[in-house]
Amino acid sequence: MNATRAERTASALILTGLFAIVTAAGVAWATSQEPPASGFVWKDGAEVYAKVCAFCHEAKVGPTIRGRGLDPAYIRFVVRHGNRAMPAFRTAEIDDESLAEVAEYVSK
Amino acid sequence: MASKFIALPKGVSEKSFTAAIGEFRRIVGQDSVLVTAEQLAPYIKTMMPVSDADHTPSASLLATTVEQIQKIVRICNKYKVPIWMISTGRNFGYGSAAPAERGQVVLDLKRMNRILEVDPDLCFALVEPGVTYKQLYDYIQEHKYPLWLSCPAPSAIAGPTGNTLDRGVGYTPYGEHFLFACGMEVVLANGEVLRTGMGSLPKSNTWQVFKWGYGPYLDGIFTQSNYGIVTKFGFWLMPAPPAFKPFVIQYEQEDDIVEIVETIRPLRISGVIPNAVVIAHALYEAPTKARRSDYMTGPGTITDEAVRRIMKDHKLGAWNVYAALYGTQEQIDVNWKIVTEAFGKSGKAKILTDQEAGDDPAFQYRAALMRGDMTLKEFSLYNWRGGGGSMWFAPVSQARGSETLKQMAMTKRILGKYGLDYSGEFIVGMRDMHHIVDVLYDRTDPAVVKAAYQCFDELLTEFSNEGYGTYRVNTAFMDKVAHTYGPVQRHVHKTLKKALDPNGILAPGKSGIR
Repeated sequence: MNATRAERTASALILTGLFAIVTAAGVAWATSQEPPASGFVWKDGAEVYAKVCAFCHEAKVGPTIRGRGLDPAYIRFVVRHGNRAMPAFRTAEIDDESLAEVAEYVSK
Repeated sequence: MASKFIALPKGVSEKSFTAAIGEFRRIVGQDSVLVTAEQLAPYIKTMMPVSDADHTPSASLLATTVEQIQKIVRICNKYKVPIWMISTGRNFGYGSAAPAERGQVVLDLKRMNRILEVDPDLCFALVEPGVTYKQLYDYIQEHKYPLWLSCPAPSAIAGPTGNTLDRGVGYTPYGEHFLFACGMEVVLANGEVLRTGMGSLPKSNTWQVFKWGYGPYLDGIFTQSNYGIVTKFGFWLMPAPPAFKPFVIQYEQEDDIVEIVETIRPLRISGVIPNAVVIAHALYEAPTKARRSDYMTGPGTITDEAVRRIMKDHKLGAWNVYAALYGTQEQIDVNWKIVTEAFGKSGKAKILTDQEAGDDPAFQYRAALMRGDMTLKEFSLYNWRGGGGSMWFAPVSQARGSETLKQMAMTKRILGKYGLDYSGEFIVGMRDMHHIVDVLYDRTDPAVVKAAYQCFDELLTEFSNEGYGTYRVNTAFMDKVAHTYGPVQRHVHKTLKKALDPNGILAPGKSGIR
């Protein structure tokens, strides 16, 4: 199993603490902004769909997939393995939790 | 007994690899070391005409910090385990997220995705390697910064670090991306952290504004290379212009490319047209609005007659020149006069603007790319032949009409020999052109896969015989292209490799360097 979203955020905060120690040790660069504590995390399945899937599946590049009652398990499989020209998406890009959410979102 | 791994690094025993995996897990956590076939499936899918087995990784490490990466390279040195670094892993047509050689461990940096700084006054950004163009685009929109990105065609899911490190291009005035890179942080094979340029100076605030630093300029050796792991990347952003005027100029005949290039070159060099202009063949644009099967069925190259019908039915030129003007309305008006006069001389050019072509899907996505907006419409190319096969053939040409005509004819002849279509374009640099051809083929048909491989091999051979070098290539052909640049360059590359990475742990095989 992969880390949940909350676990990843927590680990990012811990690691940010480490980063602060390292920068205090003298390898800092001067910035006008404080670097963010953690990286990007998907909010929900709708966001994944809008920011990834829709660029092909709502633009007549890939087939329409929403509203067709596609099986969420099938969607999860295609996302991880790709299908012909459709690329595969890694857990590093779309974590398992977000993938389950986007699969549900698409299937409805 | 069957191995518990789906692949092993070359020369590393299962026992050693098991020990290395155990140490990796202690560094990044149990869940961030992927080894099963199911976990690694997304890394294996490529678009190349070679067996997936040739590029199957043994594991993937999802690192999130510089400190983790420093520890990872120490373990790699200890066990002689090679790692293949990816940022967003979206190098489609060049190898995607798969390693160059079977058994390499992918170091996946996608989760290092913090936008560290965007300066709206000095117009620069500093990001981690996993940041996508879409993520940065949204950040700029949310902060209402008047800044534009320059993206390659897979903009939404690719990212600035990986694209620039592979010396990719975009379509705005900042389209030659590495020209606008400014400062990198690099974890070296020995675990040291180098900040290039002004970044080496403690407390410096000029890391992202002055490229050269002091002493030999180092950033270049970390592009298309395997000398270090880039963990922070700085680059310049374009101030949003007050006005923007995209346009397309269509020509009816293939040999009109001579006139096009001779007309464009002085406009591009002088800066009248400031962006990376694209001269796209009809077959590069057709997939956005036509289906090949409506014009051609059965095996073999599409006929010139069918191409002419597509042009007529879908309002395409044999060549379609996409360019834009940027600045104040007054500046645009002056430059528009210069452009229209230059292209109007022969009477062959048909000039269309947003007014006439704004509803056209090809024009829309080209206009989006020229202002750094997010689109994946160019992926329509993959529907042309179907079957998921794609390799970018990318020779460099002088920006001289006779040269472009010669390259186009050579490419078309060789593709035709193997039943493939010429889906080509020229991206106009300052004095060069990136001749970009999507070698599209059905990857589900073994005979076609074999032909595509032979075709690509012949393209590389014939072009290098004519003195034409390739600027970038997929992982199946990196050795071959490295060979075309001669023994002295390879020797220098190898010397640097030995000095910086004596155990050869970083991406062996990248650009033919081991």
